[in-house]
Amino acid sequence: MFKKADNNALWAIGLSLVLFFIGGIITTVVPPLVDTSWSKPFENRDPAKGVTGKLVPLNEQQKKGRAIYVREGCWYCHTQQIRTLLADTKRYGWRGVDAPISTPDEFVYDDPHMFGTKRTGPDLARVGGKYDTQWHRTHFRNPRDLVKGSIMPAYPWIVNNPEEFNALVAYLQNLGRSKDWRPANDYEK
Amino acid sequence: MQPQFSKAEAANAPAGAIIHEDATAKWFLVSSVAYFFIVGIIAVIIAAKFVWPDLMGTMSWLTYGRLRPLHVNGMLFGWLLAADMGLAYYVIPRLCGVKLWSEKLGLATAALWNVIILGAVVTLLAGLNQGWEYAELPWYLDILVVVAWIMFGINIFMTVANRKYQAMYVTIWYIMGCILWTAFVYLTGNFATLFATGTNQANLNWMYVHNAVGLIFTPIGLAIAYYFIPRASSTPLHSHKLSMVGFWSLAFVYVWTGAHHMLHGPISQWLQTISIAFSLMLLIPVWAVVYNLFATMKGQWHQLRESVPLKFLMSGVVFYLLTCFQGPMHSLRTVNAIVSKTDWIPGHAHMAVLGCFSFFAIAGTYYAVPRIWNKALHSDSLANWSYWMLMIGGLGFFTTLWLGGFWQGWQWNNVSIPFIDTVIALKPIWIVRFVSGLMMFTGIVLFAYNILATALGNPEEAAV
Repeated sequence: MFKKADNNALWAIGLSLVLFFIGGIITTVVPPLVDTSWSKPFENRDPAKGVTGKLVPLNEQQKKGRAIYVREGCWYCHTQQIRTLLADTKRYGWRGVDAPISTPDEFVYDDPHMFGTKRTGPDLARVGGKYDTQWHRTHFRNPRDLVKGSIMPAYPWIVNNPEEFNALVAYLQNLGRSKDWRPANDYEK
Repeated sequence: MQPQFSKAEAANAPAGAIIHEDATAKWFLVSSVAYFFIVGIIAVIIAAKFVWPDLMGTMSWLTYGRLRPLHVNGMLFGWLLAADMGLAYYVIPRLCGVKLWSEKLGLATAALWNVIILGAVVTLLAGLNQGWEYAELPWYLDILVVVAWIMFGINIFMTVANRKYQAMYVTIWYIMGCILWTAFVYLTGNFATLFATGTNQANLNWMYVHNAVGLIFTPIGLAIAYYFIPRASSTPLHSHKLSMVGFWSLAFVYVWTGAHHMLHGPISQWLQTISIAFSLMLLIPVWAVVYNLFATMKGQWHQLRESVPLKFLMSGVVFYLLTCFQGPMHSLRTVNAIVSKTDWIPGHAHMAVLGCFSFFAIAGTYYAVPRIWNKALHSDSLANWSYWMLMIGGLGFFTTLWLGGFWQGWQWNNVSIPFIDTVIALKPIWIVRFVSGLMMFTGIVLFAYNILATALGNPEEAAV
């Protein structure tokens, strides 16, 4: 069968596509059909089953903020996923509470997805409510004023544009909040 | 076999020889070499930003988040893929023993490709970013890419269909495979993602990103290595059968591994496990290719001393082996828990795309350009310098990022170390990266100058 592809271009083409499509279909088309949590928004009202909460779509302002996050390429340096590793749940927890692990049902409305691949800066999956607006304002104006040694770029043109700044902060403050993981509800505003 | 010559060599060609026009190859090679140099400047700037974060930070379009996608897309599509396509236009007619099906169509493809790259520069700097890695370009440019790819595919397939030699050398398979797989991989990563969200979209995105390397750059890169290693060393390929094993296992195994980019992440465990299993199986095609190319060079290694293309080619094969050993190893969950998301990853990615596939493309360009223009290479000694600069700079870059990334991963796993301290700790790593980046850039400048001086400079004595 493979030998035939030596002299016959159509055989070579057909066979290389067949082999490719076996894996291609099993790993891209099948998973969303099998795993319904990929498309069903997170909702849990029963504390016995773990963290409670409900995933709701972003409002207009948060969507605008998200578009800025995409435009400026924040996602090249910040991931948005708490992995199944203590290194993540502990490090990205807050005030002694571990961050809940990210699950596919928390990201159903994400388009484009912002999981990211590289952590030049910290993960932002649960950053919502960790810092208040004033902190973000100072930090975006010049990150090194607040965090010595940071290599994040400064974004004065966002801070100086109240509409953009408020939208971006509205988006950030919502990150990871579909799981209501702060026991005392002590989110910063 | 009928003798074959490029058009510039036609004066000395015997009657009845095939004369290749090579106009398309010329345009693709010259423009890709120019982009290699231009995008190299951006590469150096973003490496510098790790050390001096305020550098060029006063304008939005010069921030890291805008320049990084330009670096990645410029290098992948402006330089590497364009150079690979140019070499395909050179290699395929020669292996088929016929002229390229249509030089006109080829030239139109080259023009369209340049429109796409220039469009990419404008849109990416303006922040028109779709938000998917390797698929940042806005949809209207994506459509042009598809059109250009179809034009490329028709030209290559028609040339293959008209071929004079019935048996197809492995290079022809790999280039045909690349054209077909790329079509589907690119559509998945740039169009299917438009109809998905969240984890589903990420899975499609990773299928694309992984196979952009695995089923676009790998097959066309290997096609080039398989052609130019025997050519540049005047030695026949060790085994056709082994090259077949490599090709068919690549066709089957590669596409399964996309989810290994999200190990431990919000994606189904069974899919993660499948991707790990198939990542390990990648060792089969890799070993088949590497063994074949090493066995071809058996007893011929002394030739590397004199031949710059062979130096690049065989170093590229070694880097291919190392990259493809790293890949399966850091797909293992335990290793992944340390290196994933760290600076190890860019170290790994640069070894694949620069150390291996760009080395192949550079070698092919060094070999083909003097023949296409029928001129001696402008300077052999500059060519040698370009090799050593890229080699030493590259090694410095790869190894420091692996060490730095591993160290970074260990620190992240120790929760008592604040995140910012893990950033500060990496400063020396980033300084070394910047310096080795400068060396690599010097190598690129020497290469680009040498090629352009050969192609566009005054006619010198003809190549032997």
